[in-house]
Amino acid sequence: MLGEMLKKNKLLTMVILVYVFLSFFMPDKAYSSIKNSWYYIIEMLQIMPVVFILTSIIEAWVPKEIIINSFGEKSGIKGVIFSFILGSFSAGPIYAAFPISKMLLEKGASVANIVIILSSWAVIKVPMLANEAKFLGIKFMTIRWILTVVSILVMSYIVALFVKKESIPTKKVNTNEVTKLQIADKYCIGCGLCEKALPQLFEMTGGKARWKESSFDNEHKSGLEFIITKCPVKAISLN
Amino acid sequence: MDLSTILLWVITAGALVFSLIKNKQKTLASMKMSKNMMKNMIGQILGILLLIGLILTFVPPEAIKGILGSTGLFTSTILSATIGSITLIPAFVAFPLVGSLVNVGASIVPGVAFLTTLTMVGVVTFPLEKQEFGVKFTISRNILSFIFAVLIALIMGVFL
Repeated sequence: MLGEMLKKNKLLTMVILVYVFLSFFMPDKAYSSIKNSWYYIIEMLQIMPVVFILTSIIEAWVPKEIIINSFGEKSGIKGVIFSFILGSFSAGPIYAAFPISKMLLEKGASVANIVIILSSWAVIKVPMLANEAKFLGIKFMTIRWILTVVSILVMSYIVALFVKKESIPTKKVNTNEVTKLQIADKYCIGCGLCEKALPQLFEMTGGKARWKESSFDNEHKSGLEFIITKCPVKAISLN
Repeated sequence: MDLSTILLWVITAGALVFSLIKNKQKTLASMKMSKNMMKNMIGQILGILLLIGLILTFVPPEAIKGILGSTGLFTSTILSATIGSITLIPAFVAFPLVGSLVNVGASIVPGVAFLTTLTMVGVVTFPLEKQEFGVKFTISRNILSFIFAVLIALIMGVFL
């Protein structure tokens, strides 16, 4: 338990060790480090609830399923806008966008739109903009946002010139297979939604969703299909 | 608390109340989901914040200015963009980190390059991305993101 916690928080453990060392041998330096950090800890505490609540509200109200379902071959300008919305209003790091993007690609989304989703997922998250404005100023945030949106559009155009859709592999990613159900470990963001919906089938260990192998039978099938569409990063699949 | 933070709080609180009135269950369910995601990041956030204190104590502002400042802006920007590409910390904590360096006098240009490549270019996630989208897609997306991150940074240097 403790070992797992230390492993998960490598950076924090190391930094705390440095602080412990300092407080024995250079207490004045330890004191001024804490004092220097304090300002940023306070600032962070002021903005974290905002980011947290905004993320929750976006997760509750942006109709991601509708957006995902309306992607098609000829989505044109609508496809571009939907790609930006999908990327900007999603939570999690860029690699959490891989399974969704892959799925959309198979459903007919263009290469350019996939670049937009991945890039905006990475840099222009709405709750993050609040955080950026807090620490670097509103002007900084606004200019960077505009420049980034323009860059993403140009990039999506260039990548689409270089990369034809046929060159993208269609084979499913290899994951740790458990009976008929797969949880892509690398993509799971540990939101706990699956555990909450089907506690008899899923559990959270070490911040990742785990499949309770023993209890699978067909009566859970509809519940499983529900959670597969609900998973925010599409990390669960049935084979 | 400064004015813009208060404004953010007011907007956020308003949106929360509205969301709760419209659908309490849905709102609470997604709050629980975000809570779990945040819990996974809290250790890293605290780690970086405490690290900022160490950096500010042991690296004198003049040295930060020297490294990230006047001497060879283009080189330091490329260097920061490279560091951003290979690091994997949440963007969440990158803002106070860059903010703290700018506050002691570092130029914003390398900071912007770092912020952009940190999230958009993924050297560590390269194998994953390659597996899903192929070599050609992954290489062109990452290289272009790197170039544009540097461009964005340089343009921002002109504006700010």
